[in-house]
Amino acid sequence: MQRTPLYDEHLALGGKVVDFHGWALPVQFAGIVQEHTHTRTQASLFDCSHMGEFVVKGVDAIRAYAGLITSDLDALRVGRARYGLMLNDKGGIIDDIVTIRLADDELYVVTNAGPLEAVSGRICGAHAGCRDVSASTAKIDIQGPIARDILVRELPEAAELKYFEARRTHWQGSEIVLSRTGYTGEMGFELFVPADIAVDVWRRLLSHEGVAPAGLGARDTLRTEMGYSLSGQDFDESRTPLEASLDTFIAWNTEFVGKQALEAQKNAGGYDRLTAIRTGDRRSPRHEFEVQDGDARVGVVTSGTFGPSVGCGIGLAYLKPAYAVAGRTLTAGPKGLSIETAELPFYRQGTCRK
Amino acid sequence: MYPENAKYTRDHEWIRADGDTYVVGITAFAAEQLGDVTYVELPSVGKTVEQGAATAAVESVKAASDVYAPVGGRVCAVNTALDSAPELVNQSPHEEGWFFKLENVDAAQLDGLMDAKAYEAFASASH
Repeated sequence: MQRTPLYDEHLALGGKVVDFHGWALPVQFAGIVQEHTHTRTQASLFDCSHMGEFVVKGVDAIRAYAGLITSDLDALRVGRARYGLMLNDKGGIIDDIVTIRLADDELYVVTNAGPLEAVSGRICGAHAGCRDVSASTAKIDIQGPIARDILVRELPEAAELKYFEARRTHWQGSEIVLSRTGYTGEMGFELFVPADIAVDVWRRLLSHEGVAPAGLGARDTLRTEMGYSLSGQDFDESRTPLEASLDTFIAWNTEFVGKQALEAQKNAGGYDRLTAIRTGDRRSPRHEFEVQDGDARVGVVTSGTFGPSVGCGIGLAYLKPAYAVAGRTLTAGPKGLSIETAELPFYRQGTCRK
Repeated sequence: MYPENAKYTRDHEWIRADGDTYVVGITAFAAEQLGDVTYVELPSVGKTVEQGAATAAVESVKAASDVYAPVGGRVCAVNTALDSAPELVNQSPHEEGWFFKLENVDAAQLDGLMDAKAYEAFASASH
């Protein structure tokens, strides 16, 4: 397994380390529910150094990269970040991607660990100005209602960033990228730092009262409560953004790989849709549970967990179009767990936009 | 580490005598492996179960698992405290976090189970 620069820190903090897409990462420290609640009430640190980062430099490189993703980069102002998707020519989702415009002629691109090889091949193959900096970059996230109050003590400019804004700045003389983004629904920042200062950044942020480490388990329950789909689990190359209910991230006015297939699918209609589901009690739907309406199979669960902040089982499921609306009562799994289709997000008190 | 007065299964249940009945739960090792327990499904009182039958179920944030009857018998009590406080399974797996009690058990079946020392070795090899 590959190790992040923070591997020894995780062991020293008692983290339970597991294999995540070939990376040794902590699934939990104090416990998933405790870390989840801590993130919703104070602030947690997450090691996301396994994720991919790219620098896209120059007008021609930006143009080449723009043809690979569904976002309208002409509309992306300097200092802003945008969520988008990289598709194959059939419209299937290779990965979801956050693109940051650092300057008129420079983008910073953040991708997932699972499909990194395929993504890197496409981005770096698009233009010589596209560079994979994943190996030399560590990513440390601070997420929670007090995240900004903590971070400004180390980086005063964090106070100036609004939701989905980002900039290049410095940590003790080292150049870093700072974005006000995340996946928890809470006020949060992601710090992209040179691997050799990762331990210093981690320890300094952790030294503040109210900050605790959190693992993959809490990341998963937090993002599920927000209804954010997970690359490789809720979607992959066999699913399009229309099926994954990510239509809002398609800039139809731009040209990108996979657009033709998406247009055809949109015109044909009748496709499954990723839909929110919840149980009426503490039982959880689980990944790969079949969803049924009586004896008829109408879909499959892709994400399912207990939502600590909402107090019931929650998840995401691909459902036939007639069922992809809130308020349908169905069953899931071998024991016929009663579920109801719902609206997203499950958790609505998040502080991310404050 | 594991109570001496109980016997243990390879599926990480414990069983110990409690007056005329036998009380059953999951071990500290199993609770630790599951992580935060969020739901426990208990059997109906009066249900007769065979040894090894899935008799209860336990869910954590991460996963769901069946809990098997260590020996055959009749369910004569369940721990209803787990309905509102499933975290008792993590906090006190060998005491307050018990699952169900059995009566009319086939005591000879207890002989095939592990004692505390054997279970400790088994659990540490399962890591």
